[in-house]
Amino acid sequence: MGSGTLSGSGVIHVLRSAGLRFALLFAALFLLAGLAFSAVLWWGTAGALDRQTAAAIRADATALMERWHDGGRPALIEAIETRLAADVEDQTLYLLLDRDGTRLAGNLETPPAGGAPDPAWSSATLERDGEPSEARLFRVDLPNGSQLFVGRDVAEKQRLRALLTDALALSAAAAAFFAGLGAWVLRRALSQRLAPATQTAAAIASGDLSPRVPLTGQGDEFDRLGETMNTMLDRIATLMEGVRGVSDAIAHDLRTPIARARAKLEEALSGSPGDAAALRSAIEQGIADLDGVTRVFQAVLRIAEVEAGARRAAFATFDLTPVLEDAVDLYAPSAEARQIAFETEIALGLMMRGDRDLLLQAVANLLDNAVKFTPEGGSIRLVARRGARAIWVDIADAGPGLSDADRIRAGTRFFRTDSARTTPGSGLGLSLVRAVAVLHRGELHLADARPGETPRGLRATLRLPA
Amino acid sequence: MNLVLLAAAFPLLALPLRAEPASAQPVRVTTDSAEYCGILSERLALAPLAEAEPARSLAAEGRRLCQDGHVRTGVAKLRRALRAANPTH
Repeated sequence: MGSGTLSGSGVIHVLRSAGLRFALLFAALFLLAGLAFSAVLWWGTAGALDRQTAAAIRADATALMERWHDGGRPALIEAIETRLAADVEDQTLYLLLDRDGTRLAGNLETPPAGGAPDPAWSSATLERDGEPSEARLFRVDLPNGSQLFVGRDVAEKQRLRALLTDALALSAAAAAFFAGLGAWVLRRALSQRLAPATQTAAAIASGDLSPRVPLTGQGDEFDRLGETMNTMLDRIATLMEGVRGVSDAIAHDLRTPIARARAKLEEALSGSPGDAAALRSAIEQGIADLDGVTRVFQAVLRIAEVEAGARRAAFATFDLTPVLEDAVDLYAPSAEARQIAFETEIALGLMMRGDRDLLLQAVANLLDNAVKFTPEGGSIRLVARRGARAIWVDIADAGPGLSDADRIRAGTRFFRTDSARTTPGSGLGLSLVRAVAVLHRGELHLADARPGETPRGLRATLRLPA
Repeated sequence: MNLVLLAAAFPLLALPLRAEPASAQPVRVTTDSAEYCGILSERLALAPLAEAEPARSLAAEGRRLCQDGHVRTGVAKLRRALRAANPTH
């Protein structure tokens, strides 16, 4: 293509182009419209002339027949001769033949040759003063066996037709040229408008995720396509970043317990060989640390399973009220041990459709966080109620809460605020809660429990469609 | 643009132009002859206003054209003279 010639594959590429198909469709519609327009125009001009000629011939023939009925053959002959003498336009043609073919009157030397599809109508080539001409003739068979031909010289009309035809022939070439030009421009315009999207997709395919489709600002279909592609690419980039973040987090968060387990085992190995109790203690610590690692992996896998949505098939209708009460019973002792006031306001009969175990786990995670971060002497409040279209579970604590920036990131895997680094946990609890909420087509909303106060506390609200 | 559209229909329009082919043997028109000039002159002589203008000069011109070999033009002049000489026509 670069050298200005099309290779075989280039031709195939062009032929397969959607732009070419659109262009051909445009050209076909263009020509079809021209065809229809011209047909109507022709019917109204040249066709009208034909119909006018035929009507005049018929009227003339009818009038002559009346003369024949009124005065017989002599009257008919006189009428023909009078008409011929008065024909200033020199277009009328007549021929009256006897039953034996003898010419009686008219200005045609012989009858026209037969063979026309309609026996009454025929066309004939005339010889007029040595020049050829065209005639249209109508034959009337008289009752006595005579034949009357009435016609018109249509050479002028034929010349008009020929002029129109020549004009149409020239214009047809121009129409074909413009159709082709329009098709080419259309194909080129489509190709040019799609080029940025194609180039961006090619760059993405080659591994560079940073390019975005440039937008023209016209807001047309191509801009909308570009916007959709850019949104998709942004989403992919976010997901890729998330995957990278998870990998980094796994490496970071698991390194500590693994390193600790290794240190314990190494310490036991280098310690007194006769101290069986110390050795056993070290091994138990190592196992506990490795169990912690296993739990993290299990949590990650569980979140992935929930996000995949496979468990939606096992949804059943159940009452959320006892589930919430179970979760409260589970965490009430640990709250009580830290003198944390636990207030609950759970409506009865919160029937919904979903996964009971996952929801228990989600609420337990929220309560676990609340108990963990609420200082001694603080309070936790759990309210569950039914709204117009959803069940709302609201858990408010008196902990340090989350800054605006942290609130945005809360719920991503392994995310832990700086202040929470010292507390036990893996940073997966809210991830699971968010995944469970989404699985139930609901959402997790985080806000300050005491806006403007210190500590601000955290209000975690689960909205579950019922 | 309309001309361009119109031209696109040329292949269709060409069809009616070729319809009804004329007979191969030309038919001679007898009114294109000097003899017919004479017939018209005779009819003109019987017309009521043959000697009045413009019939008279038209007739003279027609006869002259016929004599000069311009038969069709001469016939046309004589016909116009005849029409002028017969006001009822």
